[in-house]
Parts: sequence; C-alpha cells; structure tokens
Amino acid sequence: MNAATSPPGYYGLPVIHRSHWKWLVIFYFFFGGIAGAAQAIAAVAAARDREGNRDVIRAARYVSLAAFLPCPALLILDLGRPGRFLHMLRILKFRSPMSIGSWTLALFGAAATAVATGQALDDRPSLLPDGIASLARRLLGPASVVAALLGVLLSAYTGVLLAATAVPIWAKRSRLLGPIFVASAMSTAAAAIDIATESRRIALLEGICSATELAVLAAWFARLGSIRRPLAAGRLAPLFRHAVIGAGIAAPFGLRAIGPHMPASARRAIEVMAALLTLVGGFALRYVIVVAGAESADDPAATFALTAAPGSEAGR
Amino acid sequence: MTDNRRGVTLAPDHAVGFLTDASLCIGCKACEVACKQWNGLPADDITGRLTGQSYDNTTDLGATTWRHVAFVERASGPATAWLMLSDVCKHCVHAGCMEACPTGAIIRTEFESVYIQPDICNGCGYCVPACPFGVPQLDAEAHIARKCTLCYDRLRDGLEPACAKTCPTDSIRFGPVADLMAEATARVETLRARGVADAQIYGDLASGGTNGIGGLNAIFVLNAAPETFNLPAAPSLPADRALPAYASALAAAAGLLGAAFLAFGRRRS
Ligand code: SF4
Repeated sequence: MNAATSPPGYYGLPVIHRSHWKWLVIFYFFFGGIAGAAQAIAAVAAARDREGNRDVIRAARYVSLAAFLPCPALLILDLGRPGRFLHMLRILKFRSPMSIGSWTLALFGAAATAVATGQALDDRPSLLPDGIASLARRLLGPASVVAALLGVLLSAYTGVLLAATAVPIWAKRSRLLGPIFVASAMSTAAAAIDIATESRRIALLEGICSATELAVLAAWFARLGSIRRPLAAGRLAPLFRHAVIGAGIAAPFGLRAIGPHMPASARRAIEVMAALLTLVGGFALRYVIVVAGAESADDPAATFALTAAPGSEAGR
Repeated sequence: MTDNRRGVTLAPDHAVGFLTDASLCIGCKACEVACKQWNGLPADDITGRLTGQSYDNTTDLGATTWRHVAFVERASGPATAWLMLSDVCKHCVHAGCMEACPTGAIIRTEFESVYIQPDICNGCGYCVPACPFGVPQLDAEAHIARKCTLCYDRLRDGLEPACAKTCPTDSIRFGPVADLMAEATARVETLRARGVADAQIYGDLASGGTNGIGGLNAIFVLNAAPETFNLPAAPSLPADRALPAYASALAAAAGLLGAAFLAFGRRRS
C-alpha cells in the first residue's frame, strides 16, 4: 500500500481535537446573548428617554432575567464534573475567555436579578415593606448600569471564546466572530422584547441589528477562503442559507415591508411573526457556528490552511 | 537535585523535555506501551477496527493515549520508504491549553512541563480545541481533560519519563531542552549530509513548529515535512486572538448601542 499523501497530511485524520460542545452550549450561547443584550438595550433606552420607553425598559429587564435563568444550569451540566463548577471561580484569568465568561455570567446573574427585582417593585411597590422597596428602587439605577456593562461583555465574549481556539473556521477571521455574536445577541434580544411589548422603536432596532449581522456574516464568509467549507457545502450549508439568512434575517425584513399594507388588525401578528423568525434565525446561527467548528476541526486541510508556514502555497 | 539519565542533573526551574527523532524510530511502539503501563492507562480498543493505515492502529493522541507512533509508507524509487514518528504533547513554552484553562488546573511545573492537575480540572473541555496540536482530550471515564504529564511523578523522583527510558533506539531522548536542541541541530546536519533533504527540527523558534508558541519543550527531528506526520507547520497561539477579538466585539456593541440610542429617541408616530 502506498500512502504517498498527495494532499498533505496523515491519512486524512484530524490534526486537532474538536470541542465536545453540543446542544447545551448552543442553547447557552442563544440565551446568554439575549440576556446580556437585553440588559444593554434597557439601559440605553432608559438613558435616552425613560418615560417614552417605559414599556420597552420593563420588558427588556424581565426578558433579560428570564433568558439568564437557564444559563448557569446549561453550563454546569456541560461540565465533565458538574460538581466542580465552583472551580471556575477559584481564579480570574484575563487570558482565558472561559474564565472571563464564567465571572461575567456569575456577576451578571446577580445584577440582572437585582434589576428585575427593582423593576418589579417599581411596578408594584406593595410587594415589599416600604423601607426595603424604596431601597431596592434606589439601587435600580446603579444596578442597571452594572448589568448593562456586564451584559455587553456577556453577549460579546462568546465570539471571543470561539476565536481563541485552534479550530480553523473559528480562528481564521477571529475579529469578525465577536461582532457576529454581538449583532445576533442584539437582534434576538430586540426580537424577544418586541414580542413582549409593542414598540416601533424596538422593531427598528431589531432591523438595524439584523442588517449589521448580515453584513458581518457576509464579510466573514467571504474572507474565510477555503476554510468556509462546512458552511458552503454539506449538511450545514442549506441551514446556513435558509434558516440563518433566509428565515432569520431576510424573512423578517420582508414581513415588515408588507406589514403596513396589511389590515391594521393583522399588523401586530405580522410583527410578532417577524420577531419569532429573528429568534429562530439567531438560534440557527449558534447551531451552525458550533457544529461548523466541529466539522472544521475534523478537516486536516482546513487546519493546514490555517497553519501553513508563511510563504508556502497552502497558506494562500 | 537528582541524577537522571546519562548523568543529567535534574534541577527545578530548568526546562527539561523530549527530543523525538523520526530518523531513529523503528515503530516498535514500546513507548506507547511503557506510557500506558506507567500511567495506568487502558489499552486502546481496536477490536474490529484495525485501521488499515499501515501499522497505525492508534491513530491519534487522546485522553488515554499519550504517545502515538505514526507510520507513513511512501514510494521512493522502486522501494518503499518508511517514516515513523512517536508523537507526544509538546509541552509548549506558551501553551494554548494552559492559557485557555479557566480553573488553573493546568500548571507549569518546576520542570517547565505543562501538567493538568486531575483534582482541579472540572472537565469544561476548553483546553481541547485550544491546543494547536490536538493533544488533550476529555476522558470518557474520569470526565476530565488528560494528556502527557512528562511523567511528572517520575521526574519528581529523579527518573526520566517512561517512554524515553524504554525507547530501544534512543529515538526518544530526555534531558535539558538546551542540550536536546544542540543534539537535534547536530543530527539534522548529519541527516542533511546523508541526503535527507527534508531533515528539520520541529519546535524551534528558528526552524518552525512554534509560530507564536515561543518554542516547544518536546522537540522533534523530522525527516519529512511536518504535515506528513499531521503536525502543523506554523501553528499559532490561540489565546493571542482573544484581545483583538474582544476589541472588535466591543466596538460592534458600542456601534449598535449607539444606533439604539438614536432609535429610542425617535419621535413616536
Ligand atoms: S501541545 Fe497542546 S497539550 Fe501540550 S502543552 Fe502545548 S497546547 Fe498544551
């Protein structure tokens, strides 16, 4: 047998090891993004026009807490040793996005809980005795700023987490992965808020974020070169094209374009439909990127394209 | 301070490692066996799945396989050339796995080797895709990440690692990295003089295999291109991508929140 390895490599075997991440992490990326971005949206809306955006702010704060709640469980269950989850907090390591993310999520959870509590007391002051209620409401302002800052980091670090690996499709254009995750976190958070409360402003924001997401995705895809293979061909390609781009980004724009021409009674339903599709697209995006990472890690040609010696042909 | 191999004195804060020489390997897999025996690792299950890839039924480094002998057969004139190399954790000077580890389970030992503390690791698995060489892996039974320890326990007792001890041809050598590098340089010169054009050091800042990784403490002498043995020619340190990625992600967030600020102030129609 002559194994003269014509494409460079070793019997086509993977060079690197793929990550074990599957559904738990895909759901976490989805919910964590919504939780973080919703908190940031609430803070910006409050800073701009607290009265005019009252409903959006309230919805965003509740959406954020609701989306946060499953996150710790998803991450803990994903550990090989769930009982050791507290080891995540035994050190803080700036060089490790996983460490930054763990700390961010833990602190964010506290802040988001404080914000939602303050909001609830704002809605119904009678929930708690006067003294406590007024204290909680006074803390609402500072807590929402802290939650917003942590929320931005929460929605951003997941892209960095993937970029800082040896997986070719995550590593190749590492600077575009963060913006993709951020834009998708913002669009899905806006969509969730949009479903919870009616607001043209949040629908407008959702559109802006989706358009940004599309632009960054297109740039990413175009600049991946041969490493884009899992997205361009194979099982994931139709999902990427039809679920992420088609259903998740194009369809909501289409629905919003025809919305105003529909009878007034149908408009809200169309808006909710558009927002739901944005959520579906955002989830599909997380799925596609995580699974594409596994396929990319298994592909020695992709790894060699990423790690070719400077100046050699494979480096392109 | 303990006496080790060939009179080598093992002192803390003194980088030691492997030199694995492909041109001396005879493919006996004694290193694989010695490693498994010393470290109490289970045998690879090959029942019903002989690979058909020359004599390689190990195929990869993994949670319970810390040495892997690669076999390449290729035509060289009328004959077949045999290439064999025992792969192992590189114990990188800047280790991707260690930078990624969020718990601090992965440490740099007093021998400059990279060691996963089994009682700290919580099995998050982030080191697995963060190693540019595909070394650590989650163990299906222990549910933690595992890889070569450079026989940390043996080193502490003044013994050289089991694989190096057992290698019958001295294809695997153990010692201070600086000494090994000198040996490797001399060996590559000899091989080149004998007509092995592809002879090269892998894991040296000058000659490759370390782009961004700052050098390897387990270096190799190769007699073919690194890719032939499934080694990346110019791997990079994944953690170096984090800072630019944060910057662009936060810039995108700032831009979109700026847009949100405008959107939330629009006159309501
Ligand atoms: S080769 Fe991989 S596992 Fe070994 S030290 Fe380097 S990054 Fe860590």
